[in-house]
Amino acid sequence: MTTASTQAAPAEVTALECPSRCPLLLLAGKGLGWLLISGVLSLVASIQVHTPTFLADCPWVTYGRVRAMAETAFVYGWIGNLGLAITLWVLRQLSAEPLRAVRWTLVGAVFWNLAILAGVVGIAAGEATAIPLLQMPGPVQPLLLIAYGAIGVAGVLAWADRRREAMFAAQWYAVAALFLFPWLFSAAQVMLVWAPVRGTLQAVVGGWFAQSLWTLWMAPLGLAGAYYVVPRATGKLLPAYDSASLGFWALLFVGGWTGGRHLIGGPAPAWISTIAIVASVLLLFHYIVVFLNLRVAYGAPGTALKFISFGLSAYVAGGFLDALTSMRGVAEVTQFTFFDAAQHELAVYGGVSALLFGSLYFALPRITGRPWTSAGLIRGHWALTVAGVLLLVLSLGAAGWVQGQGLNDPTVAFAELAARTRPWLLGATAAQALLLLGNLLLTLNFILTAAAGCCAREPAR
Amino acid sequence: MKNGPLLFLGLFAALGFAWAGIVLGANAQLSGLAPYYDSGDSLAYPQGLPGVAARGQLVYRDLECAACHTQQVRRPGFGADTARGWGERQSVARDYIYQPAVQLGDSRIGPDLANLAGRKPTAPDAADLYQLLYTGRGGMPAYAFLFEERPVVGQASDLALPLTGRFRPPAGREIVPSRRAQALVAYLLSLNSAYDYPEAAPAAAPAPAAGERKK
Repeated sequence: MTTASTQAAPAEVTALECPSRCPLLLLAGKGLGWLLISGVLSLVASIQVHTPTFLADCPWVTYGRVRAMAETAFVYGWIGNLGLAITLWVLRQLSAEPLRAVRWTLVGAVFWNLAILAGVVGIAAGEATAIPLLQMPGPVQPLLLIAYGAIGVAGVLAWADRRREAMFAAQWYAVAALFLFPWLFSAAQVMLVWAPVRGTLQAVVGGWFAQSLWTLWMAPLGLAGAYYVVPRATGKLLPAYDSASLGFWALLFVGGWTGGRHLIGGPAPAWISTIAIVASVLLLFHYIVVFLNLRVAYGAPGTALKFISFGLSAYVAGGFLDALTSMRGVAEVTQFTFFDAAQHELAVYGGVSALLFGSLYFALPRITGRPWTSAGLIRGHWALTVAGVLLLVLSLGAAGWVQGQGLNDPTVAFAELAARTRPWLLGATAAQALLLLGNLLLTLNFILTAAAGCCAREPAR
Repeated sequence: MKNGPLLFLGLFAALGFAWAGIVLGANAQLSGLAPYYDSGDSLAYPQGLPGVAARGQLVYRDLECAACHTQQVRRPGFGADTARGWGERQSVARDYIYQPAVQLGDSRIGPDLANLAGRKPTAPDAADLYQLLYTGRGGMPAYAFLFEERPVVGQASDLALPLTGRFRPPAGREIVPSRRAQALVAYLLSLNSAYDYPEAAPAAAPAPAAGERKK
């Protein structure tokens, strides 16, 4: 295996990088910590699905709460922290100055993580909002917003300092993710937590927020890194780059309209879900453009590009599956089943997380000035991630399909449904264990590499 | 793309456009939804939640019951919701106007609860629900922490659970629901969408034109 992209030429690590080292390592390290926490919680939740008595006596870890905690730790803790680290790093790479306002970033990162910790503990203690992707208790949410603002300052300044006036695709996605989150998050907070709208309008706003958080924040965070790393690591121009801006604007303008995705057949105006179906299909244009742009990653050497090509496949497959299952005939079976979970894992774990893994493998040697310590740990992480994601998505998908068929047959009792889905759900538990193990290897490698980088710096002072 | 402010405006427009379309559009349609006054019953539907049931909804929310239970019956012909006896009609937006925190849910590991107290032929009563919550059943975990085991002082409590088998408490002790369990059960028993609103009736199919294939 070649490790070309997991090492950095000395010339790539200049004095410009020094000020950003500490905040970026802090964000990335916290992100990995949350990834492990969410991995443990997901494992517990996946056991509880097929063995309901597991930890059922303790109110803090009942299934619903564990699921909410795992989701929060994953989305805000892992994707938020690492996505921001990669985004800031990309913006810094494309700017002519060292990262500015790093103290703001440091303070923001500390408070962002404290807020998530308070949020996760709050969910365990029974203060959750029960709104998908916005589970953290109300009082924690403004703190997250302020902390995000503090982290984002450095990104905005780096963008203003950009080396070339014309922006690259990586910068569009990075800036979109940076700017859109506060608007989205504060609007949803006001309408759902502080002054909740009335009746099923809550579900409409919740759907809009959940889909927008995915299309306007998580996906751009993953793509910003990928659009930067792929041309750098392959040394090739991106094919069909002229269409990249159309793909970008398609995501931004159409993404939010998929908000009624999960309201099909529900007690909300039918036009909302109809528009969501149309939007999900229109969004295929975005997925096709991203695929055409980044396809040079396939078959190129290096760990970073292996992860990015895997992530690209999962991201695009997730988009197509989303369009397919938004169709009413398919949704009739897959709605409310584990199939939804399979799709979520495919897009968010297989897609965005793998893109972030790839970007991290490329970025870390260029942040610390040291190659990754262990090639063996990288190989282990790669194998476990691929196996884990495939097993997780396939087993949850199969469980969901079996469950959906059973639910639509009124003669099948729930006990029978549980028995039919159990083998597949055991597979999902095994997959969660594989993923957790893989992430332990990555974290270990990260700690070793970051520590080596820090120690190497000491004598120079 | 060179122009920073233009990109910024574009981002704002993208977000604002979808927000205005979906959120404001739905708001325009739903915010004026009023209770339906039935002159025959001299009552307006849906009826507001009693105070204890509103507290119970908070228990439902903090235990994240919506992780396994939806509260939305889909229309006949779309899934088997009505055939499973979850409700006789589809849920409509008017059912939810008095609910402080709407719990539509996104997963059906357990059955739908939108019309739990109105199920035909037999809806569960409070005793059934306490029993189910304390012992669990099939895929549903027990929520024993919502109950209190205490010594019987004088006469046994009216609320004491009539438990048998391995759940039976030691002699001289009884299992009673805590206030949280009582609120939760009051909420579950308030989930009733038996009233037929005009908009909940299935739309009459137009008479097929001659020669057109009948669906």
